[in-house]
Amino acid sequence: MSDVRLDVSRQPGPRWVLPKGLRRVPEGLDELATEHLILNMGPQHPSTHGVLHVLLELDGEEVQAAEASVGYLHRGIEKLAESRKYHQVGTLLDRADYLAGLHTETAFALAVERLAGIEVPRKADWIRSLTMELCRLASHVVWAGTFGMDAGAMAPFLYIMRDREALLDILEAITGGRMMFNYVRPGGVFADLPAGVDTKIRAFLDVFDTYLEETDALLGGNEIFQARIKNVGVISRDTAMAFGLAGGTMRASGIDFDVRRDMPYAAYTELDFDVPVASGGDCWDRYVVRMEEMRQSVRMIRQLVDGMPEGDFTAKVPKVLRPPAGEMYAAVESPRGELGIHLVSDGGPTPYRMRLRSPAYYNLAITDEAIAGSLIADAVVIIGSLDIVLGEIDR
Amino acid sequence: MALDKLTGENSMVFIRAEQLLDLARKNSLFYLSFGIACCAIEGLMSAGGPRFDYDRFGIFHRGSPRQCDVMIVAGTVNKKMAPVVKRLYDQMPEPKWVIAMGACACTGGPFREYPNVIMGVDQVIPVDIFVPGCPPRPESMQYAFMQLQDKIAARTQERIDAR
Amino acid sequence: MPASAHETLLRDAAVVHTSETELLGTVVRLDCVNVRPALGALAAGGFDQLVDMFATDTGEAIELTYHLRAFSGFETLFVKCTVEYDGELVSVWDIYPAALFPEREAAELLGMSLTGHPNPKRLLTVEGTEPLLRKSVAIRGAQEVQFS
Repeated sequence: MSDVRLDVSRQPGPRWVLPKGLRRVPEGLDELATEHLILNMGPQHPSTHGVLHVLLELDGEEVQAAEASVGYLHRGIEKLAESRKYHQVGTLLDRADYLAGLHTETAFALAVERLAGIEVPRKADWIRSLTMELCRLASHVVWAGTFGMDAGAMAPFLYIMRDREALLDILEAITGGRMMFNYVRPGGVFADLPAGVDTKIRAFLDVFDTYLEETDALLGGNEIFQARIKNVGVISRDTAMAFGLAGGTMRASGIDFDVRRDMPYAAYTELDFDVPVASGGDCWDRYVVRMEEMRQSVRMIRQLVDGMPEGDFTAKVPKVLRPPAGEMYAAVESPRGELGIHLVSDGGPTPYRMRLRSPAYYNLAITDEAIAGSLIADAVVIIGSLDIVLGEIDR
Repeated sequence: MALDKLTGENSMVFIRAEQLLDLARKNSLFYLSFGIACCAIEGLMSAGGPRFDYDRFGIFHRGSPRQCDVMIVAGTVNKKMAPVVKRLYDQMPEPKWVIAMGACACTGGPFREYPNVIMGVDQVIPVDIFVPGCPPRPESMQYAFMQLQDKIAARTQERIDAR
Repeated sequence: MPASAHETLLRDAAVVHTSETELLGTVVRLDCVNVRPALGALAAGGFDQLVDMFATDTGEAIELTYHLRAFSGFETLFVKCTVEYDGELVSVWDIYPAALFPEREAAELLGMSLTGHPNPKRLLTVEGTEPLLRKSVAIRGAQEVQFS
């Protein structure tokens, strides 16, 4: 066993190389007839990130085919939105992508504002961007912790929970809620920033820089973690484009697109940030891209806090909004990718049809392509690297 | 060592079997890592995290239902999910308890008007503690576990009286 | 990509369509039989990303919407066609594999039959569920959801 080499380079081919003697198959075993086993991974599984059910067809440990079966959380957000007033839809959308509620609310608010021609004050745009970037950090740390747990690293999860609690304290001071914010409304935001929150944010960011490097060292600097995720689950650029992937998953495959930069909204036209893109398309690249996104978010939050303008936090909108009949699509960059709301209005007080274009929905369709041919342990890691939230997949 | 000072040397402790077993059960409640929806992030992940800390109660998560005492139903149960919840409940060995966490598991929550949603998990499995909230704060979940511990302790007296 | 690139592509493919610019963007309306040739021409001509595909119940029929984007230049296009209730949804998965999941969902939630799809099973609900997203299917009323 001392001859086993761990190959962490990027070369294609087998990652584990056993000495020739150990690969010898005992007499008669190569004529053994074997069957493929269909194994249910989920819906209850410590690492399916929600109620995801993946059917794996296995030949020993190797996955021949995988099929994702969803719908265990289908709660009818799109149908129920048709019977809620426009101000009430935000409560439903918070619960769609529950790790990035503010992004979903903002997408809806943007769609309503563009349809109804409501002009949002500059300060509201800046507050929206600030809270969205804080929410992005909160979501990415959860992803980092659960991704580490998928690969077997139990400790970083508790470290990131400490960081997440600090972030949720700030978000609770601003919005009033830890997870279901109900803060971004059509026309602006619900309430102004409380006094003293900028000191809190700056103090947090100073500490968070070191915490982020610590998490990166614990996970990314760990040789075992690297061996688990390098060259695993490679998604090529063409596959990523064809399947309509979104977010960090797409950028790790070499597609340079970010809604904040290319179809800007809120305060992103005035902010200075980079969009990390990698070209390998494996789980390591997705990890690196999301870590870098967190650093860019910290950079953006500093600019937002330093440059927060004065003004109104919301425009004057009627109590019962009646946008004119028509359709509108608005997209934001949620932690998982391009999250879009396609709103169809008939002029009444409730939406006629609201379609939530969720990035995780399209990311999940890659499961069969990405998992087939890898081992079961790799399947877990690949699903973890896609960063899915079942709430927005099933809606 | 501190306990020895309390009882003195060569002393014996008498306790009824029911009390001993229920004391052991309520101080080491293992819950199934079964997060259906948003409540899982608050009640399973945050409440077990460093700030709110389940481990000081003896509460810990296990992956397999065969090793669990408590099932926290954290999220909306719909028609596709209900047979799964029932099967997992059946797989848990006795004695077992269920905590219905959040408005969705108690009565269907904000989604109760949708025909695909089951209005409360108590239509599928028997529930011991209902925790309101959307989502309940992690402190609420810890209070729920404390209530469950009281419920187990109250049951001890019933078992003793039944003998 | 010039603004009327989609016009050229569709005219070259000899697809009958109407194109308008609305508040939403550029909307192309055509018959369902022309969806596959139209999308094939658009995909080959630079609209390489299917952003979203969904269906709406308009009260008289079901309207399918394909939201396409040309990645270089970020041109967007909405292609719409109408299917009658319980009609046929022809899959375009070989042109845009991103349509695999949304087509199953649209066929299931609005009651259409899915053809040309490698896996035409239900996606979100169990067998026997009615098409929940149709306007004719009502959500539970106030009496039913009361806590008794």
